[in-house]
Amino acid sequence: MDVDAAIAHIPRLRRYARALVGDAARADDLVQDTLERACQKWALWRPPAAVPAAEVEAALRGWLLALMHNLYANQWQQAARQRTVDWDEAREPGHDPGSHTALRLDFERALARLAPPAREVLLLVAMEQCSYAETAQMLGIPIGTVMSRLARAREQLRRLMEGEAPPRGALKAVK
Amino acid sequence: MPVNPPDEAALHAWVDDELAPESAAEVAQWLAAHPEEAARVAAIQAQRASLQALHAQVLEEPVPPRLLRALRRPPLQWRWPHALAAGVMLGLGLGAGYGLGQRGHGALPPPAGGVALLPVFVREAAAAHAVYVPERRHPVEVAAQQQAHLVQWLSRRLGVPLKVPMLDDRGFHLVGGRLLPGEAGQSRAQFMYEDAAGQRVTLYVSVLARERPATAAPVAFQWTADGTTRGFYWIDGQQGYAVSAALPRERLHELAEAIYRQLEQAGAGTGVDVAR
Repeated sequence: MDVDAAIAHIPRLRRYARALVGDAARADDLVQDTLERACQKWALWRPPAAVPAAEVEAALRGWLLALMHNLYANQWQQAARQRTVDWDEAREPGHDPGSHTALRLDFERALARLAPPAREVLLLVAMEQCSYAETAQMLGIPIGTVMSRLARAREQLRRLMEGEAPPRGALKAVK
Repeated sequence: MPVNPPDEAALHAWVDDELAPESAAEVAQWLAAHPEEAARVAAIQAQRASLQALHAQVLEEPVPPRLLRALRRPPLQWRWPHALAAGVMLGLGLGAGYGLGQRGHGALPPPAGGVALLPVFVREAAAAHAVYVPERRHPVEVAAQQQAHLVQWLSRRLGVPLKVPMLDDRGFHLVGGRLLPGEAGQSRAQFMYEDAAGQRVTLYVSVLARERPATAAPVAFQWTADGTTRGFYWIDGQQGYAVSAALPRERLHELAEAIYRQLEQAGAGTGVDVAR
């Protein structure tokens, strides 16, 4: 299998990254970093032996998502350490006019308020439709942690959408 | 027959289809009897559906070229140390080590005495095939109906007179074509064909660098099958051609031969004439 096999996964990676980081250009940057990393590490990737092609594709996708997770986790952990990025401000919705309804903006904004680890779990399970086991493997955490983060993320997102958010963070005035 | 109330985790697992059939049936039964909890679970399902619909338009967008390039060109800062390390470890010397680091990426010409690589245009062709063949709404830029314009336009952009082979007698009709960027910004052309079953074949045309000696690559079909991409490529004079499809090798060979013969009839040496 050749590294070009990753090409078929790019559209979904772009969409996932878009939901993860919010801004279109930064999302593509993350995808680009992921693909470059995949290129470097390609020799290390072993497709599962003797399984249907669809499972090989799923394994490749899981591997790419795991690479993306590592890069993304580095980003936000670094940002949190240096305190140079305010997540609320940095993640104001991007410049993509035309395709957003008012409701969607609220939804995106609410999603953006979740802590990065919570957003990752929620998006992998709900948007990417990964199983709990796959998600746990990609993120390198136990399944129990996936389940508790998922429940918490869903509850937080619901509260944010319904305006029940706790004052800290969500109601903070930005500029 | 009362069922034990499911805990929070089980409700989420039910929404995410993670439960065994028996447990899922129990949760469904319990929810049927508890409308308030059922409404809460329905909200979780609605949220899941919203997430699945989010940014769906991104899936339809063409893949930005910089992302395709990212797969083909490992960053230099990695390539050199890795190549050097490989060369030292294996005791093969710098040239072979460099070749090892390059293997499979095809961004640079093969080092002297190193591993033979696929020509760059063959990798470009495979990438372009993988990107555009699944495309439902915009498989081509210019449709077959505007064939004259298509040929004129692509000939001008590639700087050589092109011809579009016709494969109708083999069951494939021309869908159209598109202009693509090649390595170092040259123009490339891709023609797409489709049969009645929706099976697609692409022909990728590349004009090779002038300094390349024409004698270095005699006309010979080369088979390439990396993962899901398979096809034949050949170099004729200054032009490189790659035919790709998810078809059996014999079938692809027939198509490649048919294309080659039509191109030969149209012109000699440097290839082919513009079709009318």
